[in-house]
Amino acid sequence: MINYAYYPGCVAQESGKELDNSTRFIAKKLGINLIDMPEASCCGGGVVDGFDHNLKLYINGRTLALAEKLGYDILTVCNTCTLTLSEVNEELINNPESLEKTNAYLSKIGLKYSGTVKVKHLLYIIRDEIGLDKLKQAVTYTLDGVKVAPFYGCHILRPSSVVKFDDVENPSGFEELIKALGAEPVSYIRRTKCCGFQTILVNEVTSTSLAGNAIYEAQQNKADVMVTPCPLCHLSLDTYQGVAAMNINKKLSLPVLHLPQLIGVALGGSYAEMGFSRHNISFRAVMSKIKQNKLK
Amino acid sequence: MEFTVKSYRFNPEIDEKPYYKEYVLNDFPGMTVLNALMKVKAEIDGTLSFRRSCRSAICGSCAMKINGITKLACKTQVSAEIEKFGIIKVDPLGNMPIIRDLIVDQETFFDKIKEIKPYLLGKTDHIDDDFKALKEGEKIKQPVYYKTEFQNLTGNNDTPNCILCECCYSECGGVVANPKYLGPAALAKLYRYSEDPRDNDKNGSRLVNGSKPAGMFDCVHCQACEEFCPKGISPVKVIVRMHEKAIKNSITFSKGAKHIIGIARSIQETGRLDEIKVAVDSVGISGILNDLHVAIGSGLKGKMPPLRLKLIKDMEDIRVAFKDLNLEEKHD
Repeated sequence: MINYAYYPGCVAQESGKELDNSTRFIAKKLGINLIDMPEASCCGGGVVDGFDHNLKLYINGRTLALAEKLGYDILTVCNTCTLTLSEVNEELINNPESLEKTNAYLSKIGLKYSGTVKVKHLLYIIRDEIGLDKLKQAVTYTLDGVKVAPFYGCHILRPSSVVKFDDVENPSGFEELIKALGAEPVSYIRRTKCCGFQTILVNEVTSTSLAGNAIYEAQQNKADVMVTPCPLCHLSLDTYQGVAAMNINKKLSLPVLHLPQLIGVALGGSYAEMGFSRHNISFRAVMSKIKQNKLK
Repeated sequence: MEFTVKSYRFNPEIDEKPYYKEYVLNDFPGMTVLNALMKVKAEIDGTLSFRRSCRSAICGSCAMKINGITKLACKTQVSAEIEKFGIIKVDPLGNMPIIRDLIVDQETFFDKIKEIKPYLLGKTDHIDDDFKALKEGEKIKQPVYYKTEFQNLTGNNDTPNCILCECCYSECGGVVANPKYLGPAALAKLYRYSEDPRDNDKNGSRLVNGSKPAGMFDCVHCQACEEFCPKGISPVKVIVRMHEKAIKNSITFSKGAKHIIGIARSIQETGRLDEIKVAVDSVGISGILNDLHVAIGSGLKGKMPPLRLKLIKDMEDIRVAFKDLNLEEKHD
């Protein structure tokens, strides 16, 4: 078992509970021990920096300090949480002044951070630490014949000076994982583009057009399903898919899964266990196809 | 080494639609993509059109998409691209109309630069600010710099180093979504002037104008501008600094500012991001009603977030952070 301080982020604990459930499901199967941090706060949703930079440092410095106290690296399942925690970690490690003021705050609440924690997204923990061979061995339903469009989103790749998991110009980690499950990755240009979520409440029409264009391109490339490592992208791509279709004036109907849901299906998870009924676009047709692929 | 350049071609005077043409070349040590294109033009096909000038990553003329990513052709090594992609595929910049081959129409881009008034305002300069965010007689809080700091006015953000190459604009998710959005280069310039203590913008009109629709709060935070700037500038970081400055100066009329404040307030109250509360704070009840079909659809699927969130454990720690930073009363 590998231990991680588990940081699901807010959406996975609220409207996107299926992400949390499927993450816990696959963690058990892959030998990942998720240590909960009920004290951890919201990272600030990628925008709290625009309210007060020090607040971003303090609340995320606190989360890093909680993980350090536990003695584990942080496992994330949200791109934006990954970037925010990583940005703060970089700043606290490289800027003594920022570390000093953050520790001055942390000392008031009985914590201290010395910069030893690493922030890692589930996708790259599976690729780099669990290993794709172990993942392959755990597969009970091969995804053979399923065309999967990986939607990386932004904050797991950019800025590459902070999130250093993959080649920012031509990432491959997601595709490698999809292949390990037996599925065929769909190649399309918008796989690394923005889903628009950050402005969905500011300018819905323009924001959802980004998600809509990505879905349309994946559909045109014959994808059966789109998968994302980020619950914020999932909101744009699934919850707002109908709005996006209207805004780009195209017919869209592509199931969109959270990354651990796709893995969960291959590891034997049922429709109910993966929480697919909570999605806007049904995954049932593809699921029926997969259920015929049981390995002996 | 023999390699192929695959170039986007389109001459609206003779071509019905765009097409790609391939040219086979031999490289030489240190050959750049611009060297390759100049070789094509000189030796194979004189009709291939592209902008170029300094060949030293200073003028910003030769920006184009190279294997799908916007780069300066003069700063991009052929060998590195071939190693990664096996080909040199070149396309014109994104987010701009194409004039011919790799040449785009830059007019809108420069109109947006002009729109932010890219010069220091003098005492008699008038800046159009029909929206008065500050109270009568109230002055915007300008930073005060010591002489040594002044030399590095923009810190690590280096916004004065912008060469207007349009790499950020070509990759910007915000412009893809909304062609009217000012874009990263213009907003980085807005920051550069709004932070300059010599600028005679006493009533915060730069930030007021920048907060209007299609301004700084339309940034989608995709980080592409920082990632692909050939000069190491991070427009997105300075856009966020302007968000903070606008909010701290009570310039909060935009939905974007309300959204940020809503998230901060939610964290202060529960330690969490309260999805319902943030939506109401950002767009108001009328905005929620517009999206009622999305909310009802999600509710029927069981995706409605809880109306009342459970506080995180040790919530007092978060209150201490807000208190320490004197942020408790600044929400409204």
